[in-house]
Amino acid sequence: MKNKTSWNEMKTKFPDEWLLIVDCEVDEDGHILSGIVARHSTEKDEVFALPALDKSSAFKYTGKSTFPGGWRAHAKHHHF
Amino acid sequence: MQNITTFNIKAQYIYLPVFIVTDNLKLLEFDAILDTGAPMTEFSDKALQYAGFLDKIKNGVTLKDGLQTQKYDTVILPETKICGHQIKNLRVFVSHFEKSWGIDALIGLDFFRNYRVTIDYLKGILITGTNQSDDVQKP
Repeated sequence: MKNKTSWNEMKTKFPDEWLLIVDCEVDEDGHILSGIVARHSTEKDEVFALPALDKSSAFKYTGKSTFPGGWRAHAKHHHF
Repeated sequence: MQNITTFNIKAQYIYLPVFIVTDNLKLLEFDAILDTGAPMTEFSDKALQYAGFLDKIKNGVTLKDGLQTQKYDTVILPETKICGHQIKNLRVFVSHFEKSWGIDALIGLDFFRNYRVTIDYLKGILITGTNQSDDVQKP
């Protein structure tokens, strides 16, 4: 059985990648502490590819989010 | 019942883990952003397909100028867990999420309608209660 990797180690080892993590250890709020990286790729499609693993899993991105939030986006999206 | 969930106050948004329980009772965890501007909770089409609740991803979905996400369907999730609360039969939008966003869900106003939500940014905690009579206790 593979050794578990901490979330900080995953971020260093797989920068700007999507990860599928199994055998996760999480804190009481559900934040990942460690686990085994079952899949990793810069391509999200590869990590989310079917068939799904028959295990409880977590999906994480190690890069910086470019999510375009903010009130201007909300206003354009929902009202104007 | 009220729950306390921590978040990283240094991050640009409030990131929270959300969980989908699959039909074979596996727990899938995705990163979400708490989004008061989203009227309803949304999940990425890829996450919903992986979890077995979306048969086919719509191809060619692109973001229109100025839009946050591109919603194109709804599904009902039999069981989700958000901030420690088990939510049955949650209807969510199916959306196209860009891969660089690093998330697979937006927790929308439907969550705020059903839970008393207090955000304490100084402490980096989110307090969620199940009814109006819950007194918010400072930890």
